Amino acid sequence: MDRQIVFLLVLLLTLLVFGFTVRKYSGYFKHTRKGFPVKQLGRRFGVMMEVAIGQTKIFRRPVMGLLHALVFWGFLVILIGSIEMIIDGLSGTERALAFLGGFHSFIMASGDIFALIIAVGILVFLFRRVFLHVKRFSGIEMKHISHLDANVALTMILLLMVSLLGMNTFYILSATHAGHEVVGLYPISNMFASWIDAGDHNEFWHQFNWWMHIGLIFVFANYLPYSKHFHVFMSVPNVFLSRLEPLGKVDTMESITREVKIMMDPDQAFASPPEGAEAEEEVPERFGIMDVEDVSWKNYFDSLACTECGRCTSVCPANITGKMLSPRKIVMDVRARMKEKGPGLVKNGTDYSDERSLLRDYISEEELWACTLCNACAQECPININHPSIILGMRRYLVMEESAAPGELNAIFSNIENNGAPWQFSQEDRVLWSEGKVEVPLMSDFPAKGENPEYLLWVGSAGAFDDRYKQVSVAFAKVLNHLGISYATLGVEESSSGDVARRAGNEMLFQMQAMMNIELLNGYEVKKIITCDPHAFNTLKNEYPDLGGEYEVIHHSQFLRELMKDGRLSLNGASLSGKKITFHDPCYLGRANGEYNAPREVLEALGSTVEMKRNKSFALCCGAGGGQMFKEAEKGEKEVFIERTEDALETGADIIATACPYCMVMMTDGLKYKNKEEEISNYDIAELVANSLNL
Amino acid sequence: MRILICISNVPDTTTKVKFSTDNTSFDDGGVQWIINPWDELALTRAMELKEDASNPVSNVTVVTVGSPAAEPTLRKALAIGADDAIRVDAVSTDAHFVASQLAAVAANGDFGVVLCGIESSDYNGSAVGGMISEIMGIPSVSAVSEFKFDGGEVVLSRDIDGGKEEVSVPAPFVAIVQKGIAKEPRIAAMRGIMMARKKPLQVVPAADAESFTAYQAFAMPEPKAPCKMVDADNVKELVNLLQNEAKVL
Repeated sequence: MDRQIVFLLVLLLTLLVFGFTVRKYSGYFKHTRKGFPVKQLGRRFGVMMEVAIGQTKIFRRPVMGLLHALVFWGFLVILIGSIEMIIDGLSGTERALAFLGGFHSFIMASGDIFALIIAVGILVFLFRRVFLHVKRFSGIEMKHISHLDANVALTMILLLMVSLLGMNTFYILSATHAGHEVVGLYPISNMFASWIDAGDHNEFWHQFNWWMHIGLIFVFANYLPYSKHFHVFMSVPNVFLSRLEPLGKVDTMESITREVKIMMDPDQAFASPPEGAEAEEEVPERFGIMDVEDVSWKNYFDSLACTECGRCTSVCPANITGKMLSPRKIVMDVRARMKEKGPGLVKNGTDYSDERSLLRDYISEEELWACTLCNACAQECPININHPSIILGMRRYLVMEESAAPGELNAIFSNIENNGAPWQFSQEDRVLWSEGKVEVPLMSDFPAKGENPEYLLWVGSAGAFDDRYKQVSVAFAKVLNHLGISYATLGVEESSSGDVARRAGNEMLFQMQAMMNIELLNGYEVKKIITCDPHAFNTLKNEYPDLGGEYEVIHHSQFLRELMKDGRLSLNGASLSGKKITFHDPCYLGRANGEYNAPREVLEALGSTVEMKRNKSFALCCGAGGGQMFKEAEKGEKEVFIERTEDALETGADIIATACPYCMVMMTDGLKYKNKEEEISNYDIAELVANSLNL
Repeated sequence: MRILICISNVPDTTTKVKFSTDNTSFDDGGVQWIINPWDELALTRAMELKEDASNPVSNVTVVTVGSPAAEPTLRKALAIGADDAIRVDAVSTDAHFVASQLAAVAANGDFGVVLCGIESSDYNGSAVGGMISEIMGIPSVSAVSEFKFDGGEVVLSRDIDGGKEEVSVPAPFVAIVQKGIAKEPRIAAMRGIMMARKKPLQVVPAADAESFTAYQAFAMPEPKAPCKMVDADNVKELVNLLQNEAKVL
């Protein structure tokens, strides 16, 4: 009975401390931004089963992935044993779940085996951390305390397993000595029990290990929320709360939509305000993220679930090439800043200020502008943390509250606003790419004929103005003409999709462009859109629906594959026979929208292909996304496009194929930099197809 | 000290210029209008000066001469940060007419500094700034590339051949600024755009003033001759073309 009272007191103390922690964190959550509604529970459950319970993303690195998965699955099994221990502790029973019979034996046996596996796994993890210099475990954000925290938590887990095995071993010995039946199966502990025997002290050591195990669980449970290993509690719910949209989709800021609508109605925008209107108009909140109370509750949840594994940073093109940005640091900074400011916010309310902020005191502008928004970090994160949403949120603050974008980006904002393209070309010159090269039907000619083309070809600003990509537009139009596809372009009426403005943080300009384009597209009753530009593809497909533009959007690689499949386009590898082609995955086709196969199927019909070491969802960005195309890269050791060109050169391919205007520019520059432009060519898949058709 | 910035409402630099009515007037159909780039830099610098509390700048006003169609451009200037705006309700005809209107506004408002861009990107007359100072009878400094305060005193710098020239000038004065006065034009922040809707934009009637000049005709430049590309190794062909086709050798 005394034992039960002691246990109850210890349990109550544990729960009390834990309750205090829960209260503290829920206070912090109250000071984060609302939004991110949790819907589609069924789908979420599926994602949780796959990514969290199934551990699918951790297997992107198979060896360490397997070890982690074993530890995780072991924890799940051992958890049932721990529940049994609590019941035993409270009620004075022994092995209270034994009534479950075979299932109990199964759980006990697998828990016993897993305990050994976990102990070995933890020893490997500790060895790696202490003796091997794994690059992923270093970085500016990895302070002494981070390493200490990891080692303390790992040691605790090791002791938990040792005490579990000890408990089982001495339980067997003590029960056998006393002539009791041993409840449950313990293959590993049985083996240990055959090696040691403490005689009269067996029951003492059983009790000792029992108390040590449960005590460690209680200490561990209260240590975790203050450690990076909070992960243990938070990661499964975090996966359940995953962002379900395609990685490429940026969330629409509704507060901006309101403003843009007012702005686009000139009568309202430029009318003098009616008397007394000023008082009525609500004071707008802050645009974007400056400090920790501007992040969404989900961003903060992400930061608590992060275990600082650094897989995000290890695949970040900016970080790989020596720039300051580290996605892991961004997430860790959110947590650290809340730890600093949270208590003040809880105590003094929303208006509390400590004269510091997440932006600049934690995260510098240099880090933010180094991001290519390639989504490799979010793709890689084993628990679906979304780093780009924080980075973009901070860019939005810089641009929309402070006008503090790098000068080159300010210039493209002005260009898009004034002439509808990031480059300074007249809107009227949007048709020049085709002049004298290929006949291209215009949308504006169709209403008079009383008909509508089946497809709209979205040329895009790069397709119309970039010298190299104009050739791709011509090649693709030739293919469409050759196959008798019913299509048209918008000609001078087309304007920047707004993708680059949005990703550079200018949500307002994006929405203005989007609303203008949607009005035009809907006016022409456009249903299906083809484009050679993955950025326009992503924006039109995933982002325009939020603003009233619902279209079936098809990337030209997908379109070509469909034509191949239904037999309208037949390709033979004759023109490219003997040449090896390697395909560079554009981020906004691949990771952002999951399309890896369409371009490959087209290329395989043209010749033999070879993969780069980093391909498909592992592909490295060309370095031009997220507005980087238009600005100087941040300081680093290397340009991203050089790193990526090296991947391509390593394959020994004769042709680098791409399917994106930015990738084209970057890979061409890379070949020039490496003095390989004579030997190796860089083509868009549309050009290769046109070429094989002798167009 | 109050600063007045003269804003010219000009077509976007990528505009395809066309003329109407027998080449005597500019065809403004479908044109996107912007703040004259030099004026935009002047405004940017004025905002920088005002934001630094150690400078004695209390207010920044923008003014333009034009029809209601010019108001979006003034609103943009307000969005960038100007405190208030004035539109002189008249269609601008020539430099003297515009300078007279601007001088009338400047004289009326207790401005310490009148800032003008060195020229407008449409007609490139480079005359208005000097005329304003002449009409008002106050000093002017032209081609200013730096504007700062030193202990409450205005210090202007001008780029001259092989160096720089520093000028001090008593207020009120006109400063005619060139590129360099601000690093890059500031773009309007979202917050600024929202505030701009509520800022005062005053419309004043035109003062009596004469136009001294009238446009007789505009002519487009000759289109560029087609370009022939010659391979870098093919010097023979180059010489041949220069000799026999271009007949310059």
